Amino acid sequence: MNIYKAENELNKTKPIIDVQGLVKNYNTHQAVKGISFQVKRGSLFAFLGTNGAGKSTTIEILCTLLEKTSGTIKINGISLGTRKNNELIRKSIGIVFQQSLLDEKLSVKENILHRGRLYGFTKQELIENWHFVKQALHLEEIEHQQYETLSGGQKRRVDIARAIIHKPDILFLDEPTTGLDPQTRLFVWDTIKQLQKELNMTIFLTTHYMEEAAVADEIVIMKEGKIIAAGTPHSLKEHHASDQLSITFLEETIGRHLLLEKGLSFTMKNGIFTINVPSTLEALQLLKEWEPSIHAFEVIKGSMDDVFIRLNKEEIGDEQLIEFSHSAQ
Amino acid sequence: MNSLLNLVIRHNKLFRRDRMLVFFSLLTVIIVILLYAIFIQKTQIDAIEQLVTATPDIKNMVNEWMVAGLLSIMTVTSTLAAYGIAIKDMETKVLADFLTAPITRAKLQLSYVINAFFIGFALSLFGLICCQLFLVAVGGEWFSPGKISMLLGVVILSVTLSSVFNLFFTLLVTTQTSFSTLSTIIGTSIGFLCGVYVPLGSVPEFVQKIIMLFPISHTTVLFREILMRESIDTVFKGNAEAASSYEVHFGVHYEWGSTLITNSYSLLFITLSIIVFTLLSLFLYSRLPKRF
Repeated sequence: MNIYKAENELNKTKPIIDVQGLVKNYNTHQAVKGISFQVKRGSLFAFLGTNGAGKSTTIEILCTLLEKTSGTIKINGISLGTRKNNELIRKSIGIVFQQSLLDEKLSVKENILHRGRLYGFTKQELIENWHFVKQALHLEEIEHQQYETLSGGQKRRVDIARAIIHKPDILFLDEPTTGLDPQTRLFVWDTIKQLQKELNMTIFLTTHYMEEAAVADEIVIMKEGKIIAAGTPHSLKEHHASDQLSITFLEETIGRHLLLEKGLSFTMKNGIFTINVPSTLEALQLLKEWEPSIHAFEVIKGSMDDVFIRLNKEEIGDEQLIEFSHSAQ
Repeated sequence: MNSLLNLVIRHNKLFRRDRMLVFFSLLTVIIVILLYAIFIQKTQIDAIEQLVTATPDIKNMVNEWMVAGLLSIMTVTSTLAAYGIAIKDMETKVLADFLTAPITRAKLQLSYVINAFFIGFALSLFGLICCQLFLVAVGGEWFSPGKISMLLGVVILSVTLSSVFNLFFTLLVTTQTSFSTLSTIIGTSIGFLCGVYVPLGSVPEFVQKIIMLFPISHTTVLFREILMRESIDTVFKGNAEAASSYEVHFGVHYEWGSTLITNSYSLLFITLSIIVFTLLSLFLYSRLPKRF
């Protein structure tokens, strides 16, 4: 008993997902080129990348739907690969796919109970879980409606309910908010965060919306099968995005003079000068120095969008360089 | 609840609630009834009246002949339509969602086969009841308990054969488009291959051989034997030569060369075919890429 307890404690500090050197080949094409990363238990983990970066392939491998070519994966301390282990892993993961995969002709309740019965619960356990997800996702009013009659946002709620009917430790969400209206997106997000907080569920997410990624605890950015950046949103922004400083001077000519004096490149529109500064601290120094001539100012922190676009551009730049040196030889 | 049973119930619900699936599974049957009403019945009665004196019993016998063909076709089209659920699940990636739960692909595949069997059995049973009502309505008799149990036995055999036969072909297709092509091919050819549209004796000899080698046509033969035996005896009244010539021409019995294929041989052939198609399907299934 004690040993078990101790082991459990140990597991809590271990990463819930541990991927080492993951490779996936499709015939001659290499979709995932030896990536490694870890996900902390209870964290919100965002997986970013352009289309075709290898995100979906990686998720499908983690969810035991696709066989890996090589590398090791541990989920909840269990090595993915053998049939028995995969079945154990499946019990501890839930997935919300990009498209809705429930049955149009069945009601909300029927859909969820039919999928829920695949996890080997007793009748009592299943009913308890159903009441739990019904409450968590506010399905009371639509439980008897046919799935096909639901709105996009309602469908997404039911999809999430299906994914957590077995109270998994990890919830994978593959672009869960794509194509939803802003209000529904917000609701889906609140739900995801609530699940993370209240059930200590680990959330593994891919998304195209950078502002969604910005609230993650940890971000990994993939490009062409490789990880090109990883870290907290804060550290990524720090390293890969610059802040924007917009200033309105008391007199335009003075402003132009001050900026040119410093040798800073800038853009000017409607009397507002905009310059890029590497950090907020540097912005502060410039503002202090120019204080007497400033009428108004604004500092805009670099966004995840900037990080994403910048990283993707940088990589393209590098490749072009390599190609160039090849042709030079 | 057992997860296999749970899956079968789910497939079953989807089939029942999809009116188009139910309709198309009965489409071939409707076509047969129409063809029969328009001309098959008339030409057959005319042909028989040249062999024996005309009595109302002839009409009953010909009706039973049609019903036998109908029942065997029904077991094929209904089980095939049920596999439509499997193809749809594969194409729309619902399969992927199932496979994120702790169940195996094999169990999932098995659930589709069991569902096809149940759908086929239920619809054929429904068909059998309708046929009985039809036969009585046009002047025939109620089936005796012995006849009913034999008919049920052949229905079960026939649905089992159709389930594995269609499984084999369904495993070859991956999209709903190709599946609907498959359904059209099977739905169109089954009437000919069971000698329902055109009597066996009216087609060239090599085509006769093909029909006799087609396992599902043997279920038609068994249905005919059970349904028509008494009527044949009444109509031909001991005119053994005319009876035998009728039976061979209309496929109540098969004759390979000059050898008579008895019902026991038909039963054996059906059973062997069930085993062969099961093994072929298992082989094909093990070779398929693990897609979803």
